[in-house]
Amino acid sequence: MLSNVNEYFRPKTVEEAYELMQNDRDHSIFLSGGTIVALMESSRIEKIIDLKSLRLDTISVTEGEIVVGATTTIESFRKDPVIRKEFDDFFYDAFSLVGSWQIRNMATIGGSVAPKLGWSDVSTCLLTTGSSLMIYGVDGYQRMLVSDYFALPTGEKPLITHIMLKRDGWVSAFEKFSKTTFDIATVNVGLSIIPERNRIKVARVVCGSRPQYPARFESVETAMVDLEINDVMPAIVRSLVYESFTGGSNMTASFEYRKHLASVLAQRAAEKVKEMIT
Amino acid sequence: MKITLNVNGKLHDIDIDPGEYLLDVLRRIGYKSVRRSCNSASCGTCTVLLNGKPILSCSTFAASVDGQSIETVEGMSDGEKLHPIQEAILEEGGAQCGYCIPGLIMTGEALLRENIDPSDEEIKLALNGNICRCTGYEPQNRAIKKAAQVMRGELDE
Repeated sequence: MLSNVNEYFRPKTVEEAYELMQNDRDHSIFLSGGTIVALMESSRIEKIIDLKSLRLDTISVTEGEIVVGATTTIESFRKDPVIRKEFDDFFYDAFSLVGSWQIRNMATIGGSVAPKLGWSDVSTCLLTTGSSLMIYGVDGYQRMLVSDYFALPTGEKPLITHIMLKRDGWVSAFEKFSKTTFDIATVNVGLSIIPERNRIKVARVVCGSRPQYPARFESVETAMVDLEINDVMPAIVRSLVYESFTGGSNMTASFEYRKHLASVLAQRAAEKVKEMIT
Repeated sequence: MKITLNVNGKLHDIDIDPGEYLLDVLRRIGYKSVRRSCNSASCGTCTVLLNGKPILSCSTFAASVDGQSIETVEGMSDGEKLHPIQEAILEEGGAQCGYCIPGLIMTGEALLRENIDPSDEEIKLALNGNICRCTGYEPQNRAIKKAAQVMRGELDE
């Protein structure tokens, strides 16, 4: 039990939720799926602001992009017919590796991005697909890339309301290494390319749990442009990621171990992408 | 604060602390099949169904499920007659110490409601959040498969 919690709010609007947070930022917390808040065991938390009451749990197609409410659970998202069809089961397969079935029924898409967790598979996949966020903060509503959200100052506590996705011809794959089937990632890698006449027109390579925030490896992406999509390509991607890997060590894995893992996962993701194209 | 829970079809009006977890509330009102083990969303022992979907009651705030439907293993049997999953768990040796079994049965029930003919792989995937330190999982996987056959009418109870 979070024993110091003495107030539980169910705001009806985004503006009300944000205002409640501003009233007592030091002692308030947004609750989405609850899988992170419930495990915090923090005596600091006195007020819970439950975002489920905002009913931001729908998936719709608007002006050519898919708009996902931030409190949509990971399991509802991955099984949604529109998401499955539009992304050729990229999210369906990748998110099957996120936690257990129970956790995926609780954890939400927005709640997985909001705390800026280094190991989040959801964040890596959203970066891999070039997704954007709609946030509500001090300047009202603002649209930004997931990478820009990660760059916001730590003290800012904007509220993520929606995630916007658009495939735009990208072919994507995700790989993860963890100690057990539903543990958090030791390293995760997402890879997307747009093919053109059997060559890579443009690429996105994202590595998470480095252990810092998931980040794009732009030097790898640049070097992949114009590579022929053949049997050799995945091994080249592996070497490129090995050479360009940036990350660190923690109690889960050393820098050197992560560097090897990331390069192998990138090769596997490149093989998957190659199979999907050829 | 006051909440209302529909547990196994029975309505409960309950006074709770705003920071209290569903696991503690369910046990307090008598649903002792819901058990604490890891208390860190890692083992699946505390699994209950929330609106038909398996969730972890150890990390769900009771206030967040006000007015919603909860199912526990107490609601599975019909008097003396066990549910096919419970029966199959017994027959296949899927329970030894038994501590994890209520959670596992609820996950199995959710799976079979969604997919009455799951493959071995689908059963393994569904149950991978329910840790058992006794059985090695194979008897439990067999039990879910067998229960599915019974529920499809292909095998006598």
